Amino acid sequence: MHIVVCVKQVPDTTQVKIDPATNTLVRAGVESICNPYDLVAVEAAVKMTEKYGGTVSVITMGIPAAEAQLRECLSLGAHQAILISDRALAGADTLATSYTLASAVSKLNESDPVQIVLCGKQAIDGDTAQTGPGIATRLGFTQLTYVSNIVGIDITKQTITVRREIENGSQIVEAKLPVMLTVELELGAPRYASLPNLIKAVKHEIKIWGSKELGCAVDLIGLKGSPTSVKTIFAPPPRKGGPVFDTSDGNDKAVNGFLDTIFQKEAAILSQILNTDGKVKHA
Amino acid sequence: MPKNSKDKDIAEVVSKKCSGCQACVGECPVGCIDIVDGVAKITAEKCIGCGKCVMICPSDAILFDKPVKKKAVKTAEVKESAIAQYQGVAVFIEVKEGVAADVSWELVGKGRELAHKLNTKVMGFLVGHNVKKIASAAISYGCDSVYVMDNPAFEVYVSRVYGTALTELCKQVKPEIFLIGASPLGRDLSSVIATKLQTGLTADCTGLDIDTQEKLLMMTRPTFGGNIMATIYCRNHRPQMSTVRPKVFKMPKSDSTRAGEIVPFNYEAQADPLIKILETIKIDAANAIDITHAEVLVVLGKGASESKHFPMFEELASLLGGSIACSRPLVEAGLLPYVRQVGQTGKTVAPKLYIGIGVSGAVQHMVGINGSEKVIAINNDKNAQMVQVADYSIVGDYAVIIPELIKGLKARVPNFLIQGAK
Repeated sequence: MHIVVCVKQVPDTTQVKIDPATNTLVRAGVESICNPYDLVAVEAAVKMTEKYGGTVSVITMGIPAAEAQLRECLSLGAHQAILISDRALAGADTLATSYTLASAVSKLNESDPVQIVLCGKQAIDGDTAQTGPGIATRLGFTQLTYVSNIVGIDITKQTITVRREIENGSQIVEAKLPVMLTVELELGAPRYASLPNLIKAVKHEIKIWGSKELGCAVDLIGLKGSPTSVKTIFAPPPRKGGPVFDTSDGNDKAVNGFLDTIFQKEAAILSQILNTDGKVKHA
Repeated sequence: MPKNSKDKDIAEVVSKKCSGCQACVGECPVGCIDIVDGVAKITAEKCIGCGKCVMICPSDAILFDKPVKKKAVKTAEVKESAIAQYQGVAVFIEVKEGVAADVSWELVGKGRELAHKLNTKVMGFLVGHNVKKIASAAISYGCDSVYVMDNPAFEVYVSRVYGTALTELCKQVKPEIFLIGASPLGRDLSSVIATKLQTGLTADCTGLDIDTQEKLLMMTRPTFGGNIMATIYCRNHRPQMSTVRPKVFKMPKSDSTRAGEIVPFNYEAQADPLIKILETIKIDAANAIDITHAEVLVVLGKGASESKHFPMFEELASLLGGSIACSRPLVEAGLLPYVRQVGQTGKTVAPKLYIGIGVSGAVQHMVGINGSEKVIAINNDKNAQMVQVADYSIVGDYAVIIPELIKGLKARVPNFLIQGAK
């Protein structure tokens, strides 16, 4: 079985700081990490090959520095890693990205047929959740999003059964391979890398493919292949804070001061939410 | 103005403004821009001073004093006429177990505003089985026409079945704008349609408007944890597609006297032979937790994670007829289920009253609470981000404040109808 996991290098949002003068995020110097949902996908893929045999290939589209994230995936048990990096790919939106990644899966498919493509549910920077379904649609793979459990794979029937989260519940679904799954965090945290795997990951050769190797049409990749373009970027107007009641002035004074204020100023909202006749007794 | 050793005027990046979007990297004809440590960096020796990066930069982060010839954005005439065939604002009417999703009506309401500015009509795209009543409701909420695909194959949502059908409908009806609710279903579906139609799709928009000069949809969305807003255009492809989370736009009023046309759309729907739904596990509706519809939320943060205090939080919530929600650390610690998580990786909420206890106010959380009417912070750190932005804050130990608050509320409101906390 051949499983391809698509991963993305994202800024570590826990490290993000805000420039108080401009109210914008300070991007410079923020460390890059592998999108947490994608690491869950890598773990799921490795587990499946441990159970059913096969190979896990990890691919990412990004700048040369994204090699670090691929090495992390190798240390978690992936068998090979491919970096798709080319200036012509820069500025891609989700349509151009899914085209490029689907082209890479097709290329991998030539030498070793791909049964499963795994993606994280969404990336924590863009948060679009569009790339996985885009890849599935291009490849004609059946798409199963929000997968929270892999129930099993039937190798002879060539089917996979998963649990996927839907609004107000979940579904158990059986699908014919090949499939594209996007995974939820509940599927299971990635393991700790073993020492031999860490060493292997450092030494492992990472293939680099450009748009030419993938045979991509030039007008479908990067900025050119992106129907959407960012017109402007701006900082949202900051929400201005209101009165602060400090208990260092006494608990009773702070709490009652607060209650008096909201019962006076927010009477309209309170009368809507308080399940009474709307009458309020003043203390 | 800086020059390189070849005496060329070169462009300079203001790293503070750079959002690392890579547009300039893709635009630079000589490949002299790289993203280093999250921001663009120009290699001076390679720069030819063409100014193309300045034109494309959406955040005005590239300085270049030399006058750049402003190239008018002109699309080929053939393309323009092709685009002109696309008319009207379409809204996907999502049906869950025979009931239309509120977000669909919210989008119909917004669609009316957009259509008014474009002097065009609003169309409902309705897919399901036995959905006649919903078609009439769509007109009451503001659709001028509703295209209905009613077929047993649409009884239960399957990506490929719905995706193929709606793609076909878009090809026939040619809407210039197509809006879809960013529910789990809508997010699964929208990318399938956009990929099939080879058009642009902007996820989770918090603002939609019309650029009246260019007659384009302005799609504004938070990116990167919500602290940067980006306005996105889809210039040369149609329809311009966008998803919007529930509760972002106001629910329009239903008017049963409105007139509109119901158009059955002939389409041979087929079940997907490659997929079988073996079982559907429903959360019992009575026990279902839906924090997105709560009018009052008592939201617990990392600073309020002692489970011995949970009964107290629940008492406060039940006094106000509200629900308990939380920020991400409490879910990660296994204290509360994921359905109660608010924020970027959780739910977007829009209560009338948001009470954050021990919530620090990280950007990833704040992006999910922007629609709240009034925000109250209870926090022991007066410098916490949440205290800086809340409409009202009480600073101190919540274990002392909340009992006082409960006592004070009871004293002021003598005839509480106590509801159980949801």
